[in-house]
Amino acid sequence: MTPIQMTFSTNFLLGLMGLTFHRTHLLSALLRLESMMLSLFLATSLWALQLSTINIATVPMLVLAFSACSASSGLRLLVATARTHGSDHMQNLNLLQC
Amino acid sequence: MSYLVCVLLFRLMVGSVGVASNPSPYFAAMGLVMESGVGCGVLICFGGSFLPLVFFLIYLGGMMVVFAFSAALSAEPYPYGWGNRSVKMYVAAYVLGVGCAWKVLLGKWSGFWGGILDESGELLVLRGGMMGVAAMHDVGGWMLVLGGLGLLLTLFVVLELVRGVSRGGLRTV
Repeated sequence: MTPIQMTFSTNFLLGLMGLTFHRTHLLSALLRLESMMLSLFLATSLWALQLSTINIATVPMLVLAFSACSASSGLRLLVATARTHGSDHMQNLNLLQC
Repeated sequence: MSYLVCVLLFRLMVGSVGVASNPSPYFAAMGLVMESGVGCGVLICFGGSFLPLVFFLIYLGGMMVVFAFSAALSAEPYPYGWGNRSVKMYVAAYVLGVGCAWKVLLGKWSGFWGGILDESGELLVLRGGMMGVAAMHDVGGWMLVLGGLGLLLTLFVVLELVRGVSRGGLRTV
């Protein structure tokens, strides 16, 4: 595997593992989603640049636009959580109390 | 040039480990800022001109700024930095994992670390990355319209769902 492919692959997997093992804050989970999106942007941009397939350069732009949508939705959830529960701690999100 | 790419890739991994280990969101946002700045540098080293600029402006200058001031919503009196014991354990585990993966998959890489791969040997006016993005406006025009409509829809979704007092998603507050 080439070093740059190794880098963005491990970047993506680290973000995914951090998303799995997040601890307290909702915002840190959102930040790891953004880290995964960053690695995807790097991967698709390097695809366009290294293999000289120029039409693929539209993919990182559109992926960036749609990840902005997802980031804004996540931040909206964060604001809603902070308004109802006072903080964004994940242990407060426990409406289902068995 | 290879050393520059090597250093930038190393800093990308450092930023990624810094975000994935569980610090307080203040510090994770800082790690992500470093990661995006360095990712822009990697794209420049591989020959892009417009795509790293877009990345810097939109991702770092748009989205990261919003994340940075949203970190005020997750304020706590004693935030966990990377010197905290539990965060250090996560950092050690991720560094060990990444080191093992690199050693196994990349151990025998004695070749080319990175450089600008161009087909012609001269400096051209129309660079590849910029022309690809121009294709988004030309051939991919409908996708651009769809992306714009999606962003507009997201704006209204966000506004309606954060609206409180009996009309939006927050009905009691």
